[in-house]
Amino acid sequence: MNGKRENRIDKIVSDLLRGRRLKLRGGDAEEKGAITAAARLAAARQGSQRMHPAFRKSLASLLEQEPKQDRVTRRAALVAGLGLAAGVAGGTLLGRATQPGIMPVAGATIDPVNGRWIDVAAMSDLVEGQGKRVKAGGVGAFLFRRGQTVTAVSSICSHLPCELWWDRSNTHLACPCHPASFHPDGKPTDGYALPALNPVQVRVTTAGRIEVLGTE
Amino acid sequence: MTSEEPASEPGQVLQLPTSARATDIALDELELVYAFIYARVGNRADAEDLTQQVALKAIPRLREGAPASAIRGYLFATARSVLGAFWSTRLGLSESELREDLAMPIALGPPSEEGTETVQQILAQLSDNYRRVLELRFLHGYSLKEVASEMKSTVGAIKVMQLRALRAAAKVRPE
Repeated sequence: MNGKRENRIDKIVSDLLRGRRLKLRGGDAEEKGAITAAARLAAARQGSQRMHPAFRKSLASLLEQEPKQDRVTRRAALVAGLGLAAGVAGGTLLGRATQPGIMPVAGATIDPVNGRWIDVAAMSDLVEGQGKRVKAGGVGAFLFRRGQTVTAVSSICSHLPCELWWDRSNTHLACPCHPASFHPDGKPTDGYALPALNPVQVRVTTAGRIEVLGTE
Repeated sequence: MTSEEPASEPGQVLQLPTSARATDIALDELELVYAFIYARVGNRADAEDLTQQVALKAIPRLREGAPASAIRGYLFATARSVLGAFWSTRLGLSESELREDLAMPIALGPPSEEGTETVQQILAQLSDNYRRVLELRFLHGYSLKEVASEMKSTVGAIKVMQLRALRAAAKVRPE
Protein backbone atom coordinates (compact mmCIF):
# COMPACT_ATOMS: atom_id res chain seq x y z
CA MET A 1 0.00 0.00 0.00
CA ASN A 2 1.59 3.26 -1.09
CA GLY A 3 1.62 6.33 1.10
CA LYS A 4 0.34 6.29 4.61
CA ARG A 5 -1.84 3.31 5.30
CA GLU A 6 -4.06 5.25 7.63
CA ASN A 7 -4.88 7.68 4.80
CA ARG A 8 -5.75 4.91 2.40
CA ILE A 9 -7.91 3.13 4.97
CA ASP A 10 -9.67 6.37 5.82
CA LYS A 11 -10.46 6.89 2.13
CA ILE A 12 -12.05 3.43 2.04
CA VAL A 13 -13.93 4.13 5.30
CA SER A 14 -15.16 7.51 4.00
CA ASP A 15 -16.40 5.92 0.77
CA LEU A 16 -18.26 3.22 2.70
CA LEU A 17 -19.83 5.77 5.03
CA ARG A 18 -21.05 7.69 1.99
CA GLY A 19 -22.67 4.51 0.69
CA ARG A 20 -20.19 4.05 -2.14
CA ARG A 21 -19.04 0.69 -3.38
CA LEU A 22 -15.71 -0.79 -2.32
CA LYS A 23 -13.04 0.33 -4.77
CA LEU A 24 -9.91 -1.50 -3.81
CA ARG A 25 -6.40 -1.59 -5.20
CA GLY A 26 -3.90 -4.40 -5.27
CA GLY A 27 -1.89 -3.02 -2.35
CA ASP A 28 -4.96 -2.90 -0.14
CA ALA A 29 -4.59 -6.63 0.47
CA GLU A 30 -2.04 -5.83 3.16
CA GLU A 31 -4.87 -4.35 5.21
CA LYS A 32 -7.50 -6.90 4.31
CA GLY A 33 -8.51 -7.46 7.92
CA ALA A 34 -9.09 -3.75 8.53
CA ILE A 35 -11.03 -3.39 5.27
CA THR A 36 -13.39 -6.31 5.87
CA ALA A 37 -13.93 -5.04 9.44
CA ALA A 38 -14.73 -1.57 8.06
CA ALA A 39 -17.27 -3.07 5.64
CA ARG A 40 -19.01 -4.88 8.50
CA LEU A 41 -19.11 -1.77 10.65
CA ALA A 42 -20.44 0.33 7.77
CA ALA A 43 -23.17 -2.27 7.19
CA ALA A 44 -24.22 -2.11 10.82
CA ARG A 45 -24.57 1.67 10.63
CA GLN A 46 -26.95 1.57 7.68
CA GLY A 47 -29.72 0.01 9.74
CA SER A 48 -32.25 -1.60 7.42
CA GLN A 49 -30.65 -3.97 5.00
CA ARG A 50 -33.63 -4.87 2.90
CA MET A 51 -33.48 -4.71 -0.84
CA HIS A 52 -34.42 -1.44 -2.52
CA PRO A 53 -37.89 -1.85 -4.10
CA ALA A 54 -36.52 -1.12 -7.58
CA PHE A 55 -33.86 -3.79 -7.17
CA ARG A 56 -36.42 -6.29 -5.85
CA LYS A 57 -38.55 -5.57 -8.89
CA SER A 58 -35.62 -6.13 -11.24
CA LEU A 59 -34.91 -9.46 -9.54
CA ALA A 60 -38.59 -10.42 -9.91
CA SER A 61 -38.45 -9.81 -13.65
CA LEU A 62 -35.27 -11.86 -13.81
CA LEU A 63 -36.97 -14.76 -12.05
CA GLU A 64 -40.10 -14.53 -14.17
CA GLN A 65 -38.34 -14.71 -17.52
CA GLU A 66 -39.56 -17.62 -19.58
CA PRO A 67 -37.54 -20.81 -19.18
CA LYS A 68 -35.13 -21.64 -21.98
CA GLN A 69 -35.24 -18.03 -23.03
CA ASP A 70 -31.81 -16.66 -23.66
CA ARG A 71 -30.46 -14.20 -21.21
CA VAL A 72 -31.45 -11.04 -22.97
CA THR A 73 -30.84 -7.74 -21.32
CA ARG A 74 -33.94 -5.98 -20.12
CA ARG A 75 -33.05 -3.08 -22.36
CA ALA A 76 -33.09 -5.33 -25.45
CA ALA A 77 -36.38 -6.89 -24.33
CA LEU A 78 -37.89 -3.48 -23.79
CA VAL A 79 -36.73 -2.22 -27.17
CA ALA A 80 -38.17 -5.30 -28.84
CA GLY A 81 -41.38 -5.03 -26.88
CA LEU A 82 -41.92 -1.43 -27.84
CA GLY A 83 -41.40 -2.25 -31.49
CA LEU A 84 -38.76 0.43 -31.74
CA ALA A 85 -36.19 -1.98 -33.05
CA ALA A 86 -37.84 -2.39 -36.43
CA GLY A 87 -37.47 1.26 -37.22
CA VAL A 88 -34.09 1.77 -35.66
CA ALA A 89 -32.14 -1.22 -36.79
CA GLY A 90 -34.20 -3.03 -39.36
CA GLY A 91 -35.06 -5.86 -37.02
CA THR A 92 -31.50 -6.52 -35.92
CA LEU A 93 -32.22 -5.74 -32.31
CA LEU A 94 -35.52 -7.57 -32.43
CA GLY A 95 -33.67 -10.59 -33.72
CA ARG A 96 -31.12 -10.25 -30.97
CA ALA A 97 -33.84 -10.17 -28.37
CA THR A 98 -35.81 -13.15 -29.56
CA GLN A 99 -33.59 -15.42 -31.61
CA PRO A 100 -32.71 -18.54 -29.65
CA GLY A 101 -29.10 -19.49 -29.10
CA ILE A 102 -27.67 -16.00 -29.05
CA MET A 103 -26.09 -14.72 -25.88
CA PRO A 104 -25.39 -11.00 -26.10
CA VAL A 105 -21.75 -10.70 -25.15
CA ALA A 106 -20.92 -7.29 -26.49
CA GLY A 107 -23.09 -4.62 -28.01
CA ALA A 108 -23.30 -4.39 -31.78
CA THR A 109 -22.15 -1.19 -33.42
CA ILE A 110 -25.03 1.23 -33.86
CA ASP A 111 -25.72 1.45 -37.56
CA PRO A 112 -28.89 3.47 -38.12
CA VAL A 113 -30.91 2.92 -41.28
CA ASN A 114 -30.44 6.07 -43.37
CA GLY A 115 -27.78 7.13 -40.91
CA ARG A 116 -26.20 10.54 -41.33
CA TRP A 117 -22.89 11.91 -40.17
CA ILE A 118 -23.76 14.62 -37.70
CA ASP A 119 -21.29 17.25 -36.56
CA VAL A 120 -21.26 17.08 -32.76
CA ALA A 121 -18.10 18.75 -31.49
CA ALA A 122 -14.60 20.00 -32.24
CA MET A 123 -11.49 18.03 -31.30
CA SER A 124 -10.54 20.92 -29.05
CA ASP A 125 -13.76 20.37 -27.06
CA LEU A 126 -12.53 16.98 -25.86
CA VAL A 127 -10.28 16.56 -22.85
CA GLU A 128 -8.12 13.47 -22.94
CA GLY A 129 -9.30 10.92 -20.37
CA GLN A 130 -12.71 12.58 -19.92
CA GLY A 131 -15.97 11.57 -21.55
CA LYS A 132 -18.17 14.04 -23.39
CA ARG A 133 -21.82 13.37 -24.02
CA VAL A 134 -23.17 14.29 -27.44
CA LYS A 135 -26.36 13.70 -29.38
CA ALA A 136 -26.51 12.91 -33.08
CA GLY A 137 -30.24 13.05 -33.71
CA GLY A 138 -31.63 9.89 -32.12
CA VAL A 139 -28.21 8.51 -31.19
CA GLY A 140 -26.75 9.52 -27.86
CA ALA A 141 -23.04 8.86 -27.35
CA PHE A 142 -20.06 9.51 -25.14
CA LEU A 143 -16.90 10.58 -26.93
CA PHE A 144 -13.40 9.82 -25.71
CA ARG A 145 -10.22 11.29 -27.10
CA ARG A 146 -6.84 9.58 -27.10
CA GLY A 147 -4.25 11.64 -28.91
CA GLN A 148 -5.76 12.33 -32.30
CA THR A 149 -8.11 9.35 -32.12
CA VAL A 150 -11.71 9.57 -30.97
CA THR A 151 -13.90 6.65 -29.94
CA ALA A 152 -17.58 6.64 -29.05
CA VAL A 153 -19.96 4.40 -27.17
CA SER A 154 -23.70 4.56 -26.69
CA SER A 155 -24.93 6.70 -23.82
CA ILE A 156 -27.61 4.11 -22.94
CA CYS A 157 -26.82 1.49 -20.31
CA SER A 158 -26.64 -2.07 -21.66
CA HIS A 159 -28.60 -3.31 -18.66
CA LEU A 160 -31.42 -0.86 -17.98
CA PRO A 161 -32.57 1.68 -20.58
CA CYS A 162 -31.20 4.66 -18.69
CA GLU A 163 -28.93 7.50 -19.78
CA LEU A 164 -25.42 7.01 -18.45
CA TRP A 165 -23.46 9.86 -16.92
CA TRP A 166 -19.74 10.51 -16.85
CA ASP A 167 -18.34 9.96 -13.38
CA ARG A 168 -15.34 12.26 -13.50
CA SER A 169 -13.79 11.15 -10.21
CA ASN A 170 -13.90 7.45 -11.03
CA THR A 171 -13.36 7.99 -14.77
CA HIS A 172 -16.11 5.69 -15.86
CA LEU A 173 -19.64 5.83 -17.20
CA ALA A 174 -22.20 5.20 -14.48
CA CYS A 175 -25.83 4.15 -14.73
CA PRO A 176 -28.22 6.24 -12.62
CA CYS A 177 -30.77 3.41 -12.41
CA HIS A 178 -28.60 0.56 -11.17
CA PRO A 179 -25.09 0.01 -9.81
CA ALA A 180 -23.59 -0.63 -13.23
CA SER A 181 -20.62 1.20 -14.70
CA PHE A 182 -18.53 0.99 -17.83
CA HIS A 183 -15.03 1.85 -18.99
CA PRO A 184 -14.62 4.32 -21.86
CA ASP A 185 -14.24 1.35 -24.23
CA GLY A 186 -17.73 0.22 -23.22
CA LYS A 187 -16.73 -2.81 -21.17
CA PRO A 188 -18.30 -3.22 -17.72
CA THR A 189 -16.00 -2.17 -14.87
CA ASP A 190 -16.32 -5.35 -12.86
CA GLY A 191 -16.93 -9.01 -13.33
CA TYR A 192 -20.66 -8.46 -13.28
CA ALA A 193 -21.95 -10.21 -16.39
CA LEU A 194 -23.23 -7.22 -18.32
CA PRO A 195 -22.95 -6.81 -22.08
CA ALA A 196 -20.61 -4.07 -23.24
CA LEU A 197 -22.05 -0.78 -24.44
CA ASN A 198 -22.87 -0.49 -28.12
CA PRO A 199 -20.04 1.21 -30.02
CA VAL A 200 -21.06 4.29 -31.98
CA GLN A 201 -19.43 5.19 -35.30
CA VAL A 202 -17.40 8.35 -35.15
CA ARG A 203 -14.94 10.17 -37.42
CA VAL A 204 -12.76 13.25 -37.35
CA THR A 205 -12.76 15.59 -40.35
CA THR A 206 -9.66 17.30 -41.70
CA ALA A 207 -10.99 20.50 -40.18
CA GLY A 208 -10.79 18.90 -36.72
CA ARG A 209 -14.53 18.46 -36.35
CA ILE A 210 -16.01 15.29 -34.86
CA GLU A 211 -18.92 13.62 -36.59
CA VAL A 212 -21.07 10.81 -35.26
CA LEU A 213 -23.17 8.49 -37.41
CA GLY A 214 -26.62 9.33 -36.13
CA THR A 215 -30.06 10.15 -37.43
CA GLU A 216 -31.73 13.32 -38.59
CA MET B 1 -41.42 -11.11 5.57
CA THR B 2 -41.61 -10.96 9.36
CA SER B 3 -39.96 -13.09 11.99
CA GLU B 4 -43.35 -14.66 12.78
CA GLU B 5 -43.87 -15.70 9.20
CA PRO B 6 -40.96 -17.63 7.72
CA ALA B 7 -40.33 -17.12 4.02
CA SER B 8 -41.29 -20.66 3.21
CA GLU B 9 -42.36 -23.86 4.86
CA PRO B 10 -40.03 -26.84 4.88
CA GLY B 11 -41.07 -29.23 2.17
CA GLN B 12 -42.79 -26.57 0.12
CA VAL B 13 -41.71 -26.80 -3.48
CA LEU B 14 -40.49 -23.78 -5.35
CA GLN B 15 -40.75 -23.87 -9.08
CA LEU B 16 -40.38 -20.96 -11.40
CA PRO B 17 -42.01 -19.35 -13.24
CA THR B 18 -45.20 -21.23 -12.54
CA SER B 19 -46.73 -18.66 -10.25
CA ALA B 20 -46.32 -15.20 -8.88
CA ARG B 21 -46.43 -16.77 -5.41
CA ALA B 22 -43.33 -18.85 -6.17
CA THR B 23 -41.56 -15.71 -7.30
CA ASP B 24 -42.49 -13.96 -4.07
CA ILE B 25 -41.14 -16.84 -2.02
CA ALA B 26 -37.91 -16.86 -3.99
CA LEU B 27 -37.62 -13.09 -3.55
CA ASP B 28 -38.07 -13.42 0.19
CA GLU B 29 -35.27 -15.96 0.24
CA LEU B 30 -33.13 -13.58 -1.81
CA GLU B 31 -34.00 -10.85 0.70
CA LEU B 32 -32.18 -12.91 3.34
CA VAL B 33 -29.29 -13.46 0.94
CA TYR B 34 -29.11 -9.71 0.33
CA ALA B 35 -28.96 -9.02 4.08
CA PHE B 36 -26.26 -11.67 4.49
CA ILE B 37 -24.18 -10.12 1.72
CA TYR B 38 -24.83 -6.52 2.76
CA ALA B 39 -23.65 -7.24 6.30
CA ARG B 40 -20.30 -8.25 4.79
CA VAL B 41 -19.69 -5.69 2.04
CA GLY B 42 -21.28 -2.68 3.75
CA ASN B 43 -22.67 -0.95 0.68
CA ARG B 44 -25.76 -1.24 -1.47
CA ALA B 45 -24.12 -1.25 -4.90
CA ASP B 46 -21.88 -4.23 -4.23
CA ALA B 47 -24.65 -6.01 -2.28
CA GLU B 48 -27.05 -5.65 -5.24
CA ASP B 49 -24.47 -6.84 -7.76
CA LEU B 50 -23.61 -9.90 -5.70
CA THR B 51 -27.25 -10.74 -4.91
CA GLN B 52 -28.07 -10.57 -8.60
CA GLN B 53 -25.19 -12.93 -9.33
CA VAL B 54 -26.62 -15.35 -6.77
CA ALA B 55 -30.09 -15.08 -8.35
CA LEU B 56 -28.73 -15.70 -11.86
CA LYS B 57 -26.87 -18.79 -10.69
CA ALA B 58 -29.89 -20.06 -8.78
CA ILE B 59 -32.49 -19.69 -11.54
CA PRO B 60 -31.87 -23.11 -13.16
CA ARG B 61 -32.20 -24.76 -9.74
CA LEU B 62 -35.39 -22.83 -9.01
CA ARG B 63 -36.85 -23.94 -12.32
CA GLU B 64 -36.19 -27.57 -11.54
CA GLY B 65 -38.45 -27.32 -8.52
CA ALA B 66 -36.99 -28.20 -5.14
CA PRO B 67 -38.00 -28.07 -1.49
CA ALA B 68 -37.77 -24.54 -0.13
CA SER B 69 -35.32 -25.65 2.54
CA ALA B 70 -33.00 -26.98 -0.15
CA ILE B 71 -33.36 -23.74 -2.08
CA ARG B 72 -32.33 -21.71 0.94
CA GLY B 73 -29.29 -23.91 1.46
CA TYR B 74 -28.39 -23.63 -2.20
CA LEU B 75 -28.83 -19.85 -2.25
CA PHE B 76 -26.59 -19.36 0.78
CA ALA B 77 -23.97 -21.76 -0.53
CA THR B 78 -24.00 -19.74 -3.74
CA ALA B 79 -23.85 -16.48 -1.78
CA ARG B 80 -20.78 -17.71 0.07
CA SER B 81 -19.06 -18.66 -3.14
CA VAL B 82 -19.94 -15.33 -4.80
CA LEU B 83 -18.70 -13.40 -1.73
CA GLY B 84 -15.56 -15.52 -1.63
CA ALA B 85 -14.84 -14.63 -5.26
CA PHE B 86 -15.55 -10.95 -4.51
CA TRP B 87 -13.02 -10.73 -1.67
CA SER B 88 -10.42 -12.95 -3.27
CA THR B 89 -10.51 -10.88 -6.47
CA ARG B 90 -10.23 -7.59 -4.63
CA LEU B 91 -8.02 -8.45 -1.68
CA GLY B 92 -6.52 -11.82 -2.42
CA LEU B 93 -8.27 -13.37 0.59
CA SER B 94 -8.09 -17.13 0.54
CA GLU B 95 -11.04 -19.41 1.17
CA SER B 96 -9.64 -20.56 4.50
CA GLU B 97 -9.37 -16.95 5.67
CA LEU B 98 -12.98 -16.37 4.71
CA ARG B 99 -14.44 -19.58 6.01
CA GLU B 100 -15.05 -18.29 9.49
CA ASP B 101 -16.64 -15.08 8.31
CA LEU B 102 -18.85 -16.67 5.69
CA ALA B 103 -19.93 -19.60 7.82
CA MET B 104 -21.46 -17.42 10.49
CA PRO B 105 -25.04 -18.30 11.39
CA ILE B 106 -27.64 -17.23 8.92
CA ALA B 107 -30.15 -14.78 10.29
CA LEU B 108 -33.67 -16.04 9.96
CA GLY B 109 -35.25 -13.12 11.76
CA PRO B 110 -35.46 -9.54 10.53
CA PRO B 111 -32.52 -9.15 8.17
CA SER B 112 -31.09 -6.03 9.80
CA GLU B 113 -30.26 -7.65 13.12
CA GLU B 114 -27.43 -9.96 12.22
CA GLY B 115 -24.86 -7.30 11.33
CA THR B 116 -25.74 -5.03 14.22
CA GLU B 117 -25.49 -7.76 16.84
CA THR B 118 -22.19 -8.99 15.46
CA VAL B 119 -20.75 -5.50 15.46
CA GLN B 120 -21.82 -4.90 19.05
CA GLN B 121 -20.07 -8.12 20.04
CA ILE B 122 -16.93 -7.03 18.22
CA LEU B 123 -16.92 -3.54 19.71
CA ALA B 124 -17.47 -4.89 23.22
CA GLN B 125 -14.16 -6.74 23.03
CA LEU B 126 -12.05 -3.74 22.05
CA SER B 127 -10.20 -1.33 24.32
CA ASP B 128 -12.10 1.81 25.30
CA ASN B 129 -10.29 4.10 22.86
CA TYR B 130 -10.62 1.74 19.92
CA ARG B 131 -14.28 1.13 20.65
CA ARG B 132 -14.97 4.84 20.99
CA VAL B 133 -13.29 5.80 17.72
CA LEU B 134 -15.18 3.13 15.78
CA GLU B 135 -18.50 3.92 17.44
CA LEU B 136 -18.20 7.62 16.69
CA ARG B 137 -16.98 7.13 13.15
CA PHE B 138 -19.18 4.25 11.99
CA LEU B 139 -22.24 4.15 14.21
CA HIS B 140 -22.66 7.91 14.72
CA GLY B 141 -21.23 8.99 11.37
CA TYR B 142 -18.77 11.53 12.80
CA SER B 143 -16.10 12.98 10.52
CA LEU B 144 -12.46 12.50 11.53
CA LYS B 145 -12.39 16.11 12.66
CA GLU B 146 -15.45 15.63 14.85
CA VAL B 147 -14.00 12.44 16.33
CA ALA B 148 -10.73 14.28 17.04
CA SER B 149 -12.60 17.06 18.79
CA GLU B 150 -14.72 14.63 20.80
CA MET B 151 -11.69 12.62 21.87
CA LYS B 152 -9.52 15.69 22.38
CA SER B 153 -6.93 14.53 19.87
CA THR B 154 -5.70 15.43 16.39
CA VAL B 155 -7.06 14.28 13.05
CA GLY B 156 -3.75 12.56 12.26
CA ALA B 157 -3.75 10.65 15.53
CA ILE B 158 -7.39 9.63 15.09
CA LYS B 159 -6.66 8.37 11.59
CA VAL B 160 -3.91 6.12 12.94
CA MET B 161 -6.14 5.02 15.82
CA GLN B 162 -8.93 4.19 13.37
CA LEU B 163 -6.60 1.92 11.39
CA ARG B 164 -5.36 0.18 14.53
CA ALA B 165 -8.88 -0.18 15.87
CA LEU B 166 -10.03 -1.77 12.60
CA ARG B 167 -7.07 -4.17 12.67
CA ALA B 168 -8.01 -5.09 16.23
CA ALA B 169 -11.68 -5.50 15.27
CA ALA B 170 -10.63 -7.86 12.47
CA LYS B 171 -8.99 -10.15 15.02
CA VAL B 172 -12.07 -10.35 17.25
CA ARG B 173 -14.18 -13.45 16.72
CA PRO B 174 -17.80 -12.83 17.70
CA GLU B 175 -19.23 -15.45 20.03
